[in-house]
Amino acid sequence: MGGQDGFGPVPVGDDGAPFQADWEAKVFALSRALRRNGAFNLDEMRDAIERIPPEDYLAASYYERWLIAMEMILAEKGLA
Amino acid sequence: MSHDESHEDLHVAARVRALEERVVAAGLTTDDELDALLDGLLAGASPVNGARMVARAWADPAYREALLADGNAAAGALGFSTSGYRLRVVENTPETHNVVVCTLCSCYPITLLGPSPGWYRSFAYRSRVVREPRAVLAEFGLTLPDGVEIAVWDSSAETRYLVVPLRPEGDLSEEEMAARVSRRGLIGTAAV
Amino acid sequence: MTYGPGTRVRALAGDPDHHTRVPRYVRGHVGEIVEQEGEWPLPDDRARGITPPRVEAVYAVRFPARDLWGTGSHTVTVDLWESYLEEVAPRES
Repeated sequence: MGGQDGFGPVPVGDDGAPFQADWEAKVFALSRALRRNGAFNLDEMRDAIERIPPEDYLAASYYERWLIAMEMILAEKGLA
Repeated sequence: MSHDESHEDLHVAARVRALEERVVAAGLTTDDELDALLDGLLAGASPVNGARMVARAWADPAYREALLADGNAAAGALGFSTSGYRLRVVENTPETHNVVVCTLCSCYPITLLGPSPGWYRSFAYRSRVVREPRAVLAEFGLTLPDGVEIAVWDSSAETRYLVVPLRPEGDLSEEEMAARVSRRGLIGTAAV
Repeated sequence: MTYGPGTRVRALAGDPDHHTRVPRYVRGHVGEIVEQEGEWPLPDDRARGITPPRVEAVYAVRFPARDLWGTGSHTVTVDLWESYLEEVAPRES
């Protein structure tokens, strides 16, 4: 991501409520709880986010990528 | 929340609910735990905390020294928990302006800054600030004099960064100074 | 082989087929050690479920923007694990 071209101006106005929808807050809480309880670690989570196919990655919102990553890891590990 | 929920949003929300049901059924967490985590986050994590540390550093030279030497200990001295990472505090001077990014994801000290703003997580900020910080800061309305050097810090490991802005002019109390400090100032995209 | 402040180091140029924390834009570039940041588990191992993960020194490494992008007067400091780095001779540029 660092140094890549073509993303245009920074959305400086996007500075308000931490979560734009209740589901975003839930995704945040799920990632924290599942890490705390040992379902996966932060590096597995980052790895999964990076393994999202590029077209899905770019189409997804920030917390949607977290959701996709958690779905991937839990399926891969057969946990849920 | 008050935003219009699009069709897309409803679809994603349904997937989140399904995931939540599966992990709770699998015994990986509980609804109570999820609620408590979120309540704790919203109650305990705020840029007011980072601002208090900065204002204390401006008011108390000994605290400033401690803050620059060991950010975690200095945060702890004011009652803020920063476990799991190293807190590195970088101080702006008339010669150098510091600005923080996490190009690989969006790491940052959430206890001291609150949940990250959308712009910090955006592709545009993460891709561009390492390459053209002056142009990016200008988009935030921050124009630095030509002679000021910019130091960009990319949080790629277990270190999280906090910027101490330049102290505002005037005879201000510690509380008044803390009130001047914004989250942007603590990340380096505003002067204070 | 701990690197002291001022040591010139090159970030790994390769593109591993697993998760790593070397940002693409510093790969193959030479920077200077600012300081050691303690020791931390290697994300490359943690991401692959390798237990226990290697634990290594992590360094803040400063790169001049001009070297990274061919332009710019700023610096970019990146946190890098020891095995991401190789020392380069002081005179090499």
